Amino acid sequence: MRNLTDHAPQINHLLSRYGVKFGIYKNQTFHEQLFPFDALPRIITHEEFAELEKGLIQRVDALNLFLADIYHEKKIVRDGVLPPEFLYASKGYLPECEGITPPAGIHSHISGIDLVQAQDKRWYILEDNLRIPSGASYPLIARELCRRASPETFRQNDIVDNRNYADMLRDMMDYVSAPGMRVILTPGRYNAAYFEHSYLAERTDSALASNTDLYVEDNKVYYRDYLGESQRVGVIYRRLSDEYLDPLTFLPESLIGVPGLMNAYRAGNVAIVNAPGNGVADDKGIYYFVPHMIRYYLDQEPILSNAPTYLPFYPDDYRFVMEHLERLVVKDVSEAGGYGVVFGRDLSREKLEELRATIQHEPRRFIAQEVIDFIDLPVMDDGVQVPRKADLRAFVLSGKETRVWPSGLTRFSRQPDSFVVNSSQGGGFKDTWVLSH
Amino acid sequence: MGIISLEKSNRLIWLGRYTERTFTICRTLGKYYDTMIDRDEFAYREFLDCLGLPYIYGSREAFIKTYIFDSDDSNSLASHLNRALDNAIEMREELTSDTLCYIQMAQDALRSGDVNSAPMLTLQQVVDDLFAFWGSADDNIASEECRTLLKCGKYVERVDLYIRLGYSFREVEKETFKLINRLTKTRFAGKDEAIGKLQGWMKDAATYEESKQEILSLLWTVLS
Repeated sequence: MRNLTDHAPQINHLLSRYGVKFGIYKNQTFHEQLFPFDALPRIITHEEFAELEKGLIQRVDALNLFLADIYHEKKIVRDGVLPPEFLYASKGYLPECEGITPPAGIHSHISGIDLVQAQDKRWYILEDNLRIPSGASYPLIARELCRRASPETFRQNDIVDNRNYADMLRDMMDYVSAPGMRVILTPGRYNAAYFEHSYLAERTDSALASNTDLYVEDNKVYYRDYLGESQRVGVIYRRLSDEYLDPLTFLPESLIGVPGLMNAYRAGNVAIVNAPGNGVADDKGIYYFVPHMIRYYLDQEPILSNAPTYLPFYPDDYRFVMEHLERLVVKDVSEAGGYGVVFGRDLSREKLEELRATIQHEPRRFIAQEVIDFIDLPVMDDGVQVPRKADLRAFVLSGKETRVWPSGLTRFSRQPDSFVVNSSQGGGFKDTWVLSH
Repeated sequence: MGIISLEKSNRLIWLGRYTERTFTICRTLGKYYDTMIDRDEFAYREFLDCLGLPYIYGSREAFIKTYIFDSDDSNSLASHLNRALDNAIEMREELTSDTLCYIQMAQDALRSGDVNSAPMLTLQQVVDDLFAFWGSADDNIASEECRTLLKCGKYVERVDLYIRLGYSFREVEKETFKLINRLTKTRFAGKDEAIGKLQGWMKDAATYEESKQEILSLLWTVLS
């Protein structure tokens, strides 16, 4: 490992050379900055990954069955497993998607599952991201550059090669595609993850398109060239949110969507990756029910655990949350990216009371979780190893089969004692090694 | 990918133009900089006249610091390079990361350049990176149409700058024929008429001298 950390300056130079950046808005101004990289990897043993792999596949398969059910028969509601309030009050539930069966029947093609490892080494799922989970490109390019800068490290350690992500993505896109070309639809240069959009387009040999490049005619999507000639589009890996996707179906004021896209999708003439409407399954409130889904749809016990979670919506949980607020972490179900997360222990008495009042007023809006004391990983800080909190985003791709990418995005907090690892909040990232035996 | 949208065709052309603008200005500045060292500290004014830029730089030092390095000055070299990179970033999947990185490296070189002691050494690094960009573009860009649009932008800009900066007829003629060669490979509707005009204006030095303004006007419209 010494060899790798000795080469950290060269690796960071290469990351800069290739423009490995993310964007952030501060004071309504767009700033693009390098994503801080720590050369010390997270290491997952072969056995540990095998267990994670089984649990993640099980979870994503159940979530896909849930999405298919929720937009059709809603058996899980009828059978009393999921209270209807949770379905219909979820901002991610889109009535416009009712009755649509996506190509190949897959809703969540790319699932980003956030996990942490507790002090007892058990893994806990913190969040399911089934809309537009981002981040795979960073460890993908970092591995390439680390191998270039420190070949000896990779000669001496048996590490599963993670550079197949683009192949996995392309295979999945081709599997679900209608006849036509592959497109990655970006909201544009000033999106936080624009590097990822352009890098994945390059690596999957897909066209990177903005909405002005696409149009819909006779319920088919076309990509138009600069002289007006067109080519049919079969699959769109969209990197913009549902509500902006099609102004004729969702927000009419959207200037970045493709008018008529949902009609083409509904007619089965184009695949949209991930399917619109997935937000209902990665709602922080629905998260509570995922273990129930696994039992309901697969008749299996969940292999991976949720963090202990309370729903103030239920009277018993409400009482518990109110009595133990100072030791819990409270999450606003409508927020993402590390926003809307409040640790009770960090609040003054006055702020705690304010939070209690807000929960009392809108119990459905929040979940509360026990704070998992997840393990620290060593991070290099000015040449010295320091412990920092880190999570793992695992990427699960669902096409012909459900596969877990043997790697992932390990994000770490750069502040001592902070549990917030998001890049938008100043966090850094590491490569994630899976050992081959 | 083989299919180029209107937005991408514009980006390719402007990537070619801004890259070339940075490149030719870097090289031309060398001549003026050398004069400013110990012969005429206001030689930069002639350069500004050629490009139709205002005298907003009060001294040799201010010119070097602002015109070369200050990206808040929209006419500066740093701004031209930023615009090249802005266009390049949006074309990663066509250019490839291995080609795009040379524009990024040129920007890194300019940003970390030494304003006070030897700016020409910084510009040499920028020129080297841009040379590498063009070599890499030839090698890595799979679509011939992409390369053609990129190079059309490059040669339109080069001919434009060579005329404005007073390069000789022979030098302008050479670059104009490179542009004609590229234009013949495009699918632009008015290309044959434009090529005919350019060939006529390059018949001899006298015709060229009389036609400079017409050439500059045509260069603005030929790729639209």
